[in-house]
Amino acid sequence: MPESEGFGASSGFSYRQRHKLLSMTEMAIETSALAKTYGSKQALEALSLEVPSGEIFGLLGHNGAGKTTTVNILTTLLPASSGTARIAGHDVSTGADRVRRSIGYLPENVQFYDNLTLAENLTFFARLSGVPDPAARIETALAAVDFTGHGQELMSTFSKGMRQRAGIAQAILHEPKVLFLDEPTSGLDPQGVAKLREIIIGLNQSVGMTVFMNTHLLAEVTKTCTSIGILSSGRLIYQNSVAATLEAFPDQASLEDIYLHIESGTPS
Amino acid sequence: MTSLITLCQKELRDLSRNRSVRLLILFLAVVVVLTVLVAAADFRTKTADYNTYLAALQASGGAVTAPPPDLFPLQMLRAGMEYLEIVGSLFAVILGYGLIAKEKNNGTLQLLFTRPLGRHSFAAGKILAALIIWTAVTTALFAVITATLLIAGNAPLTGTDLIRLLIAAAHTTIYLTLWSLAALALAALTRAPATGLILALVLWLVVVLIIPQIGDTMDPDNQIPGGLFASLQIDKAHEHAVMANFTGYETARDLIEQTSLTKQYERPLFAWLGIKNQYNQQSPAFVWAGTFNHSLWLLAGFAAAITAALLAGTRDKLLRKA
Repeated sequence: MPESEGFGASSGFSYRQRHKLLSMTEMAIETSALAKTYGSKQALEALSLEVPSGEIFGLLGHNGAGKTTTVNILTTLLPASSGTARIAGHDVSTGADRVRRSIGYLPENVQFYDNLTLAENLTFFARLSGVPDPAARIETALAAVDFTGHGQELMSTFSKGMRQRAGIAQAILHEPKVLFLDEPTSGLDPQGVAKLREIIIGLNQSVGMTVFMNTHLLAEVTKTCTSIGILSSGRLIYQNSVAATLEAFPDQASLEDIYLHIESGTPS
Repeated sequence: MTSLITLCQKELRDLSRNRSVRLLILFLAVVVVLTVLVAAADFRTKTADYNTYLAALQASGGAVTAPPPDLFPLQMLRAGMEYLEIVGSLFAVILGYGLIAKEKNNGTLQLLFTRPLGRHSFAAGKILAALIIWTAVTTALFAVITATLLIAGNAPLTGTDLIRLLIAAAHTTIYLTLWSLAALALAALTRAPATGLILALVLWLVVVLIIPQIGDTMDPDNQIPGGLFASLQIDKAHEHAVMANFTGYETARDLIEQTSLTKQYERPLFAWLGIKNQYNQQSPAFVWAGTFNHSLWLLAGFAAAITAALLAGTRDKLLRKA
């Protein structure tokens, strides 16, 4: 149970009930006492987290709180110093290849091979993911991100917003169970943000894909996520559903105020 | 295996559309072919002069015939081969660095390594792509060189000459790929790929320029322009007799030269093409006996470069240095 229980319990919302319910549900992401140190710096400290399948989970925290480290460990890009993590039932250290088959990943600044077209880039990543019929899957993925007809364009001609959408397409090609998004709206204009939100919610609702996203944009979290966790200095200080969080802090005007309130209440 | 081929195909497609790579290879090809073209034109002129002279002699009814000039078509390739040795290897370093740098600088490594790739698939795909690129470039270049010799030089190439050209092309492919893989390994091992490029250029400088230059400077015959022995009008037999007194010195000089892989490439290359006089017009068996140890050293260097690239290009090492 995360340390966050105190915050959730104060709301009167059924966090305990919900958690009990979650334990009966398939967990898309489970971490236990996950820690990461860089030399003498503790980037992540005993992170215990459970995200059930079908959630859109937003991991919040200030710069350097450990969000990207968490995503890097969960996507097998970084080994943990201690603790365990399971994605779709597979351990990230002992079953890394099975985890990689179960996840899609969109890094903060997604980059492609600029000399190749979008379709060539997607075919390449689809083949690496072991997709048997890339052409059909690419068409589906492009349709999902509302990008049909852009396949033959060179990546070098794409704007930041177009790259983000192409990034989502590459991340969902192999129909992953869990989609990891690292600051997906970073650098996007309001229209781009809205479009991305629509895509993420669409994927979640249409195929039940679990989404785990790091973000700074708290307004976006309210509109997109079903549950949140707050990291502070490498420790998870809060975890609850968005609806319960808003209910639990009636005095606060927005999720941003709630976030600041929770953060300021954290013992250093 | 599938991911290796997928990675290799992507690399080839990417490189074939890379304007800088195309420019470098075009520049190299133009320089090499130009040197051959100039030599071929000279060869053609000398052959034509000889034939004209011979025809004039015959027309005058004289019984005297002029001996043919010492013209050997493959020796025309010397300057072109030196360009491949020096400029070609420099371009190979740049290409090998680019194979890693673009992935590290663009951040595509993260997308790649969240896929279920084998431990060495990434590096193996790059190695295979480098080998295919240089095989294609060398094959095309030697085909153009051969056509230039035949058409522009009107050179009478024999079947053995074509085999010699094939062997030279094989040595060149190995040599250039070796440099690409060395640069690839260094770019993979360093946190900033540019540092890897600098290290690769330092290595290139030492192996391609400095060590061979030391060997050349130490050569007694190189102390005077035109050759010490030639300027003293000492013939080969006497030259060997003189040099017999300096065997220790010559052995040391030879060992220094042999520490350079460029020399391990140059010696068999110049021998097979008859550029080195002692091998000119000799049988393939004779050339092989005199140079196979150099070819083996070159192959050993190639194997070492492949191993280094494979070991440096694992996901753990690349992500740690990304």
